[in-house]
Amino acid sequence: MCVGLSAKVVRIQDGTAIVDASGARRDVSVALLDEVEPGDYVMVHAGIAIAKITDEDEHETDELLEALYA
Amino acid sequence: MSAMEAGKVTLAMGAGGKQTSELIERVFARRFASPLLTADDAAVLESPRGKMAMSTDGFIVSPSFFAGGNIGKLSICGTVNDLACMGARPLYLTCGFVIEEGYPLDKLEQIADAMAATAAEVGVTLVAGDTKVAGRGQVDGVFITTTGVGEVVEGASPEGSKAAPGDAIIVTGDVGRHGCTILLERDDFGIEADVTSDCAPLWASVEAMLEVTRDVHVIRDATRGGVGTVLYEIAGQSDVGVELDAASIPVDPAVGGVCRMLGLEPLYLACEGRLVVIAPQEHASALVEALRSCPYSGGAAIIGRVTSDRPGWVVLNTEVGTQTLLPQPTGELLPRIC
Amino acid sequence: MSGQERQTAAQILAAYDGPPLRIMEVCGTHTHEIFRLGIRKLLPSQVELISGPGCPVCVTPVGFIDEAIWLAEHGVTITTFGDLVRVPGTSGSLASARAAGARVQVVYSPLDAVAYAREHEGEQVAFLSVGFETTVPAACLAAEQAVAEGLSNFSLLTANKTMPNAYAALRDSADVFLYPGHVHAIIGTQLCEDLARQGVSGVLAGFTAKELVTALAVAVRKAGEGEPFFVNAYPRVVRPEGTPVAVALINKLMEPCDTEWRGLGVIPQSGLRLRDEYAAVDARRVHGMPHIEGRANPACRCGEVLRGACKPSDCPLFGRGCTPQHPVGACMVSGEGSCSAYYQYGGDLL
Repeated sequence: MCVGLSAKVVRIQDGTAIVDASGARRDVSVALLDEVEPGDYVMVHAGIAIAKITDEDEHETDELLEALYA
Repeated sequence: MSAMEAGKVTLAMGAGGKQTSELIERVFARRFASPLLTADDAAVLESPRGKMAMSTDGFIVSPSFFAGGNIGKLSICGTVNDLACMGARPLYLTCGFVIEEGYPLDKLEQIADAMAATAAEVGVTLVAGDTKVAGRGQVDGVFITTTGVGEVVEGASPEGSKAAPGDAIIVTGDVGRHGCTILLERDDFGIEADVTSDCAPLWASVEAMLEVTRDVHVIRDATRGGVGTVLYEIAGQSDVGVELDAASIPVDPAVGGVCRMLGLEPLYLACEGRLVVIAPQEHASALVEALRSCPYSGGAAIIGRVTSDRPGWVVLNTEVGTQTLLPQPTGELLPRIC
Repeated sequence: MSGQERQTAAQILAAYDGPPLRIMEVCGTHTHEIFRLGIRKLLPSQVELISGPGCPVCVTPVGFIDEAIWLAEHGVTITTFGDLVRVPGTSGSLASARAAGARVQVVYSPLDAVAYAREHEGEQVAFLSVGFETTVPAACLAAEQAVAEGLSNFSLLTANKTMPNAYAALRDSADVFLYPGHVHAIIGTQLCEDLARQGVSGVLAGFTAKELVTALAVAVRKAGEGEPFFVNAYPRVVRPEGTPVAVALINKLMEPCDTEWRGLGVIPQSGLRLRDEYAAVDARRVHGMPHIEGRANPACRCGEVLRGACKPSDCPLFGRGCTPQHPVGACMVSGEGSCSAYYQYGGDLL
């Protein structure tokens, strides 16, 4: 439905951010998000940042599994 | 001011008269100079001692200059590598140019420089050439066709139909860099990355392998369609299965980033300096070691094995410990959002 | 159950010994990743994964491609995501229209389509706006930008869809839904909570191997407990409130409309169209397009495949006349179409 790219914000200028995914860089719009700063991670879809995120899935999936035993 | 002084290729330069001679003299003859380069209608050459390999390839690439090379370097590497894949030491090359009217002479000289340098590095001799000029818009810049003759190393006979169950599968470096470079150079998608084409002549790598063993079953250069396409071709030709370990396939991080951005598979991006090698398992680590000592195959790695299961298919061992098929290429690479 | 020995997600899946369970991955990107990672092989035989209708390319009716080709034939430059280029219309695709001389530009973002329009003043430019809540904000930003800049040569050809009423239409198709992570990154999780209260169970899933396998483990474990449930298994991306700015933007430019989903028929109020205030960027109105009715190949069973009512290999065209190289139905074109995934990844072969 929607390929998402997790990428790091490198620079911000006028509602546009340069994001970096393993060395691939592109302008994306951050108009949908409040308070994005360089160093933040965002989920990018079709050239738009759709959410501010944390970049790793390990911690979260561990917690979900742990919750199954609560 | 003459056209030559204006620095542009004209139709008259392709008409066969004095201006043609001037063009050939200025751009090609002095760069490709050797005792074998003919000034007559054909080069007359010593025959190779053993079996002879011969190959031809046409080169059109847009843009014709890219990070890591240009169409001239590509045109030498392409034919040299095709010969090398048959275990043949490249001896002689011919080249034919079709140049668009108005093409800048200095760029043509840079192309010829790259051809001369690459040929010298490999030790192959340019023995004959042809130059045509086409009207504006009839070609895109410059098209080059090269034809090569090589001498097959005695005892070597790699062929696409020789992959056998149990063989190891080796790539000579990270995959998809040329295709990614061209995609970035065209700048259709606003993406930037520090990626350089892998365009390189690979005879030295093949020679190093053949010094380890002549018993190399398949050597293929993974050009258009990339490593994935080549593996499907070999699986079909040899009627065997191919099993890859997804995690062991070398991909440059930035190439991986570009691919994730656009939803592309690096195994299907073109390479211009990467071989797929299939050889008996017992030689695999020595072959990789030999490859890694050569300048253009330092990133060689074993990526999988040939099996008798599921002939004709390429299977990937995934990061979750399951197996899945490598999807077959569908032609034009299109970025996707879904 | 505390004190029980901890299992990995894969072990939880393998150990499931409850009654048969049908899990529908609504999202086509989930379908694609599930095939790419071979995740079906982690499931015991009584857990069935059904691929749902969450691929915008697959549910876009044939007539939309015909409309795009009509525009192209009337001199409009088509800008589009790559996904749509090879989708067959009634008598051809954008790829074949391009070969016949139409201008078709593949773009990464709708904002790039606006940039193209800005740089090509002499051309009329239409962007093919497909996609769900995830993708709509990008198209809306593009349209707003074109309006703000006073560009008179940019418009959207819309075929956007929204999920809520589709969930309602699908509610009996599965026991548990794997909800599309990026749609809910925009619209939030309230809808999923409400569905759970109505007895519809679901897990909101991410897209990495870990996230998908974990979400499935949560699904089988919770299903075994018997109560309807909702778990957000993608909280690093999806907040309960979603992305309110995006929702507001969609509502500003677009309004709900009835729309046809290929295979599912017309689902009331499940589509989006541009509001009258934005008629100037609505390709249908700008270019005076007539009503165009598409005609799908009658043998194609994409519709049933999309409802999970038949497997791709049950279709008479599958692999015979309909392949990723020569697709007949949309499900064979898109990388996340069920037929394409099934064909490319060997279906029953592995």
